[in-house]
Amino acid sequence: MKKSKIFEVYERRRDIYTKNLTPGKRVYDEWLVKDANIEYRRWDPEKSKLAASILKGTPNTGIRKGDVVLYLGCSTGTTPSHVSDIIGKDGFLFGIDPAPRVLREFVFLCEKRKNMTALLEDANHPENYADKICEVDVLYQDIAQRNQAEIFIKNLRFLKKGGYALIAVKARSVDVTKKPKQIFNQVREELEKHLTIIDYRILDPFEKDHCMFICKKNN
Amino acid sequence: MHFTHLIGEFSLEKGNLKELKLYKDAAQYKSTESKEVLPKDSKYFSKLRDFNLQLTKIKIRESVNEDNLICQAINTVAETDKVLNTLVKRLREWYALYNPEFSVANNEKYAELVARKSKQQLLKETNVKVSMGKDLPKKDLDAMMNLAKKIDSLVQLKNETLDYLEDIMKIYCPNLTEVAGVTVGAKLIEHTGSLRKLVMFPASTIQILGAEKALFRHLKTGARPPRHGLILQHIFVSSAPQKERGRRARALADKLSMAVKLDFFKGEFLGKKLKKQLEEKFK
Repeated sequence: MKKSKIFEVYERRRDIYTKNLTPGKRVYDEWLVKDANIEYRRWDPEKSKLAASILKGTPNTGIRKGDVVLYLGCSTGTTPSHVSDIIGKDGFLFGIDPAPRVLREFVFLCEKRKNMTALLEDANHPENYADKICEVDVLYQDIAQRNQAEIFIKNLRFLKKGGYALIAVKARSVDVTKKPKQIFNQVREELEKHLTIIDYRILDPFEKDHCMFICKKNN
Repeated sequence: MHFTHLIGEFSLEKGNLKELKLYKDAAQYKSTESKEVLPKDSKYFSKLRDFNLQLTKIKIRESVNEDNLICQAINTVAETDKVLNTLVKRLREWYALYNPEFSVANNEKYAELVARKSKQQLLKETNVKVSMGKDLPKKDLDAMMNLAKKIDSLVQLKNETLDYLEDIMKIYCPNLTEVAGVTVGAKLIEHTGSLRKLVMFPASTIQILGAEKALFRHLKTGARPPRHGLILQHIFVSSAPQKERGRRARALADKLSMAVKLDFFKGEFLGKKLKKQLEEKFK
């Protein structure tokens, strides 16, 4: 197991791994690998868009040890569990999702991991949870909605100056009739009004018609 | 400047945060107008975690409503139907070794008769003199009878679930139940997720709910648009000749959309009137 160029992410052959914060416990059906008495969890790029963008060659995700992350669209917690591994015990993660069914699973995960919490809220209305969270270092969004860029910009108010903002765009949710490239450009234009885009990756072949933008909030 | 947060009351002046009061649990928090974001500080993390989890658990508990119950009930009916089909097919193969001459087209009826009557009783009505079936010993017969009995009890389960579904639907959405019927009404709710979401849709969307594949094919490639989705299962549409179906689906979707709106906004009961109008239109 050797360190990859990305913070707190390890690699072996073609797979990437994160250190398991709760040794012995699985979150989804991932592989647990032991190396030099440290347990690692394999990060599946087919299930996580962040892993897919790392394998596609992103030089920097912006998530570091001790960061506070606001995660919009946490679902059952596949990607959040790895983010929680990366930020470690000193970091913190707020997971937001409007669907009770999936959040129920996420609450069980939160009870096992001390550095994350769940909020049953709609990311469309950040004013509803503004007084339940704190300022964050990283904003991550993975929401399959028509107005996903708009939601993202609304939530930038929680991000500190100079903080990283990551958005996974699903082109098929915005418009099925247009070409994905066209929609990515449209989203890019919208984002550039508020942020500096550092990186852009198309997630093919792991996720069809998806892309990841990694941006930085201006000082 | 003072502001209240989930975990307590604070004051913020020129970037300096001061605690005024920290709450003991999430129940003390009351949502206010002034929405301020707390600066990052690791000493508040555990409080933020516990309070948010408390609040979320309460919210998840309160989010359970009739919509969820209806979805589960109609899915149970659909899945028992599927299981019944496979099991009755197996029973037909198995029982035919013993009594191949007996057959009833209806699956549920077949299982019921096999479970309750003997071979001699079943063969009375058919004029069979020499049966092709082999006389099996009691041990082998019992095994197949066991399956028949289990199928029979599955049929009962399905019917009881349908009765229960009708009960809750009549209270929760009387107009929709009257116009659409129990199964189609419940399937519409199940497909959209909740009555609230169904209300948001225009009649034209209700008409093609369940035909998403055809709709997107139409949008993408310009193929012909679908005429009906789920509501094809309604007797009013399915009993019509092919040519009439599009028109009927449109009219039915229109009335359904009205009925749903009446139910959601707690209007009066006009289901019978809507149904009558529909029937008169297509006499």
